[in-house]
Amino acid sequence: MRFIFVIKFLILYFYLCFSVSALVIGSDEQEIYIDANFTGKDLLVFGAFYSDPTQPRDEKRDLLIEVIGPSEDVILRKKDSFFGFWLNRHSVEFRDVPGFYYLSSTRELEDEFLDNNKIGLLKSERAQDLDWSSLTIDWGNIESANDKNDFYKALIRTKDREKLYKRLNDQIEILDGNLFRTNIEIPNTVPVGIYKVNVFMINNDKISQTYSYNFTVTRVGIEEAIFNFSKNFPLLYGLISLIIAILIGWSGAEIFKRFRRT
Amino acid sequence: MSIYLPIAEISINIYLLLSIGGAVGFLSGMFGLGGGFLMTPLLIFMGIPTNVAVATSANQIVASSISGTMGHWRQGLVDFKMGSVLLFGGFFGSIFGVWIFNKLVLIGQIETVISILYFILLVSIGTLMLIESSQVIRDRIRKTTVKKKIHYHNWAHRLPFKVRFYKSKLYISVIPPIIIGFLIGILSATMGIGGAFILIPAMIYFLGMPTSKVIGTSLFQIIFITALVTILHATTTFAVDAVLAFFLILSSVIGAQFGVIAANKLRGEEIRALLAVIVLTVAVKIALDLLLIPDDVFNISVTRTLF
Repeated sequence: MRFIFVIKFLILYFYLCFSVSALVIGSDEQEIYIDANFTGKDLLVFGAFYSDPTQPRDEKRDLLIEVIGPSEDVILRKKDSFFGFWLNRHSVEFRDVPGFYYLSSTRELEDEFLDNNKIGLLKSERAQDLDWSSLTIDWGNIESANDKNDFYKALIRTKDREKLYKRLNDQIEILDGNLFRTNIEIPNTVPVGIYKVNVFMINNDKISQTYSYNFTVTRVGIEEAIFNFSKNFPLLYGLISLIIAILIGWSGAEIFKRFRRT
Repeated sequence: MSIYLPIAEISINIYLLLSIGGAVGFLSGMFGLGGGFLMTPLLIFMGIPTNVAVATSANQIVASSISGTMGHWRQGLVDFKMGSVLLFGGFFGSIFGVWIFNKLVLIGQIETVISILYFILLVSIGTLMLIESSQVIRDRIRKTTVKKKIHYHNWAHRLPFKVRFYKSKLYISVIPPIIIGFLIGILSATMGIGGAFILIPAMIYFLGMPTSKVIGTSLFQIIFITALVTILHATTTFAVDAVLAFFLILSSVIGAQFGVIAANKLRGEEIRALLAVIVLTVAVKIALDLLLIPDDVFNISVTRTLF
């Protein structure tokens, strides 16, 4: 085991010495377990990045960290006044949107850069610049670009309110010019599944290195067992719920009747 | 201390949950009602999704109805034949109700429809209780009693398919009880209520059943219909929250017993007037939620997650 590790280390070392630039990443968790008491946690991502030694030290270098959660389908509904009542009048279905999205960089990156590199879900607030192609959307009765943009912004806003979508600058801490660390907040509302972490190193507005890894989010505990049971054996689950109701209802009446007699 | 509800997928304060269950149980024990018409809106106010509130409330009513029906059962105050006819209608009504419910969830109008239905229901109950209790209070002051007719005939006696109900001393068509059962079944499935406050007057005034048999027979019908509604919701909407139901049942069964004790010690009319005010307050809150401009006109629901 140790031998393999030494070999790996040597390979990495030589790779760092001879390549123009490199990126190495570590993380403290491969798996996050959410139980009933989970109130969210900070996922630590750290690593080192080395630039081409032939380039000047003050060369423009930046890091970008992207975390993409498992995809889900959502329906976004908009209420409108209908004879004084506020009712859901319009609905748009977004398919395969990430259930969690996090984008953090060492400095604010231009939308143009993100667009060119196909990074980002939260890249623009301007309707004409939106890239809808990455999402499958059923627009229903919504036609104008302006209305579409409202829905797009509302999707991001509602997800942002649940702390599920985030775009940050200056959250990445650079330690000595080559080492970095950052804490990614994982709230308790996150969906379960496989999460992909992409770390990009940017030299002179070009992505020079990319490093990716996955981690999983799993729900555990009695609550999760009940949830799965209700989905997998709905009839049995319903019957058990019923038996519990019958037992408590019946025994409650019996106990109190005896209690009152004495 | 808060507890995570696995189906509602929210964390909720356990003491708040127990006090709501206990309070609704207390009121139901006091007035001999299931209390679903207060339980469901209160759960929705607490932030529990509408479909979970409805389905779980139905499960809770099974427990409170069983608790209440034991005494009537032993004293032979249940007309099983009439109960079965009502159940026959209720069976199809609750299936139809759950079908409507699922359609409304699909088109995203369930919250609105439930709110409007509850508003109508609570305003009617509240107003009737207020009128009735104030009349009783007025009559008590005047010291008059109104004599009621023992038996009367109406359109229900002129329809075909007449059947003899020995226990209720009735010879009427099965069509009215089937229709009543059907309508109550729809209400049970869509609103998470037992429907006693509609069923009992309907049995007395439309069917002409003797008052002594009405409560036991209606409880009999309600137990089976809410049990069926629980199963239908568990298998189609997946909205029955067993953890939520457990705490509500536990607290409401205990609360109901204290309600029964309190009902024997206190004067009914004033408390009934108070309940009417509570019911109307809940109705006003529902109306405001429908009429005031919402904080965010957009709302999101996740329809599929990838595992």
